[in-house]
Amino acid sequence: MTQSPFRSRLIALLFLSPLILLTALFFYWPVAEAIRWSFFLEQPFGGGSTFVGLANFRRVLSDPEFWKSLKLTGIFMVTASVPAVLVPLVLAMAADRGLRTSRIARNVLVWPKGVAGASIGVIFGFIFNPFVGILTPLNQLWPGIWSPGTDGVDAFITLIVANLWNGIPFNFVILLAGLQALPDTYSKAAALDGAGPWRQALDIRLPLLAPQLFFVLVLEFTESIINAFGLIDTMTRGGPGGATTLLVYKIYADGFKGYDLSGASTQTVLLMILVLLIAAAQFLLMERRVKYER
Amino acid sequence: MRFLTPLAALAMTTAAHATDIEFWYGNTGSNEKAILAACEAFNASQDQDHVSCVGQGSYEAGMQKAIAAYRAGNHPVLIQFFDAGTLDLMLSGAVIPVSEAMPDAPWDSYIPGARAYYETADGKLFSQPYNSSTLLFYTNKAMLAEAGIEKTPETWEEVIAAARTLKEAGVSCPFATDINAWRQIEQFAARHGVPIATQSNGYDGLDAEYVIDQGIVAQHMNNLADWHEEGLVRFDAETKAAKYNAAFSAGECAMIEGSSGGYTSFTEALGADAITVTLPPMYEGQTRHNTFVGGASLWLMKGHDEAEVKAAQNFLDYLRTPEAQLEFTAATGYLPVTQSALDLLESSGRADAPEFATAGPGMETLGAPGNADTRGIRLGFYVQFRDIFAEETQRAYNGDITMDEALANSVRRGNELLRRFEATYAAN
Repeated sequence: MTQSPFRSRLIALLFLSPLILLTALFFYWPVAEAIRWSFFLEQPFGGGSTFVGLANFRRVLSDPEFWKSLKLTGIFMVTASVPAVLVPLVLAMAADRGLRTSRIARNVLVWPKGVAGASIGVIFGFIFNPFVGILTPLNQLWPGIWSPGTDGVDAFITLIVANLWNGIPFNFVILLAGLQALPDTYSKAAALDGAGPWRQALDIRLPLLAPQLFFVLVLEFTESIINAFGLIDTMTRGGPGGATTLLVYKIYADGFKGYDLSGASTQTVLLMILVLLIAAAQFLLMERRVKYER
Repeated sequence: MRFLTPLAALAMTTAAHATDIEFWYGNTGSNEKAILAACEAFNASQDQDHVSCVGQGSYEAGMQKAIAAYRAGNHPVLIQFFDAGTLDLMLSGAVIPVSEAMPDAPWDSYIPGARAYYETADGKLFSQPYNSSTLLFYTNKAMLAEAGIEKTPETWEEVIAAARTLKEAGVSCPFATDINAWRQIEQFAARHGVPIATQSNGYDGLDAEYVIDQGIVAQHMNNLADWHEEGLVRFDAETKAAKYNAAFSAGECAMIEGSSGGYTSFTEALGADAITVTLPPMYEGQTRHNTFVGGASLWLMKGHDEAEVKAAQNFLDYLRTPEAQLEFTAATGYLPVTQSALDLLESSGRADAPEFATAGPGMETLGAPGNADTRGIRLGFYVQFRDIFAEETQRAYNGDITMDEALANSVRRGNELLRRFEATYAAN
């Protein structure tokens, strides 16, 4: 048993209080308010509210638009998170091998972290512009083949690419740190037994990297549900034709553009439950296989 | 600073009885400049009141911030809100109707088309019309002349015939518009004298239901889809400028249907002589009714003391003067909407000046004969319905669903909004 660094719990609490206060003010209180509103019909200007029990939940759960945006959220979670982990993994493994440019790469690949989601959205909006962007030549060959402004699939692809770009730095840092912390005795022993770089990577590095991979995957799955907002708001605004209205954007649109505070709160509560369930499922299904001891 | 402020305030009240108020608006660009100029002119015209005009970036952001500020109790006394939020505000309990706050003001001077939009069925005017626009039809003279079109099209049939000629002449964007319900159904239904929802677009009750899936509105939407398919009509995302009005300014598109408030930006880009601005097109054989007033109006908010409300009223009085209205019109293309302002325009002999080019057609379409369905839109959660309409029709233009399906979906989802709105305000 370790000795507590503080004489009493009171002092510990005192030091923690700013953080607790901030969390309470900016997280627990809004969450409580969202849960409360999900049981009321709330007037936007606060003129009055009517208790409606579970009517909001019944309405949302029977609304095809809710299920459509939930499905899109699920598709985005998988199609956006998996490359956002795989690409940094490949980059980290390459950087870890000490190739010629890996020192530069280690620096450069971290920079995008300094760019806010909304700015990324604006930049990728230009990059993918069908008239002046990098895919313009495609349109000259086959007119109309690339049109994120009118084609839902194209718009979805721009979101996935922007999200991938956004996810590289953090995941790269975590995975590279994990790789560099691996004792090189294993690799040397494997090399002595005649294992080439590929075999070493697959049979030694990857299994030993499991804790970091698991961490990055959990974060990426849950983050992709929430973080897509900045990208959607700047790049597609949920369009075209609702093709990129993920749940997180639908909540914003319903609440802030449609003044439907009750419906938005109800969907927030449902989204919160969903995120908790996904994180819990990942821990239950995957964590058992992750060995933290080396 | 904290000690100084009350002292300074005291010194100021004893000196000049100055009342400081805040006014929130949503416009940007040349329209914002005109609003700020009006604020400055008001402040310079007297030393009793001082208004600080604060831009919110857009109508929607202004409404969002006003809701948050009102709930927190730190909202300004005077706010500009856009047309689509009218019913939400009327039922909010957060505003004082201007005709109640200022019973002696000359409200009768407002032309019916501008006034009815913000008025209850029993004649209570809730807000003061401010930047009033309506839908007009613009063409690029040079592009039409090059394709050999002599006459500015007046009907949809002529517009589409001209669009075909332009397309054959190699114009990539003959007619541009966007998928906003304001243009596609609200102004269209009004000038053709039909409703978009029962109960006279909601004026006669909260139990209204959308009817855009039938009659001439549905026919027009199907036509638009066909014309789009044919390459005659282009929407925002299909223009290089990514916005129909910017594409017109850039000389990419030959014809557009757009707000009168966009006029100044077009003349700045192309020159006043290079464009025509006329009444929005009708279908042949239809009687022209009035279009709706668009843009925004000014609302007095509850929760402020007498001095502040008085200062806000003084500012409203100032903005309503014929001189201030004409100043604003000349700088923006928005319309003068009181009879007194129109009289002044007439008597000043400037009616034919290019900066008042929108006033003629604008007043003609706003002042056309109306019926019970052309008073305005009085439908709850209407901002959200505009988004739904845009989303569903976009899918139809992409070919994912038919236009009839898109309209049916819009009606179904729109009616759900109306029923929820009814339930939300049932307690009142």
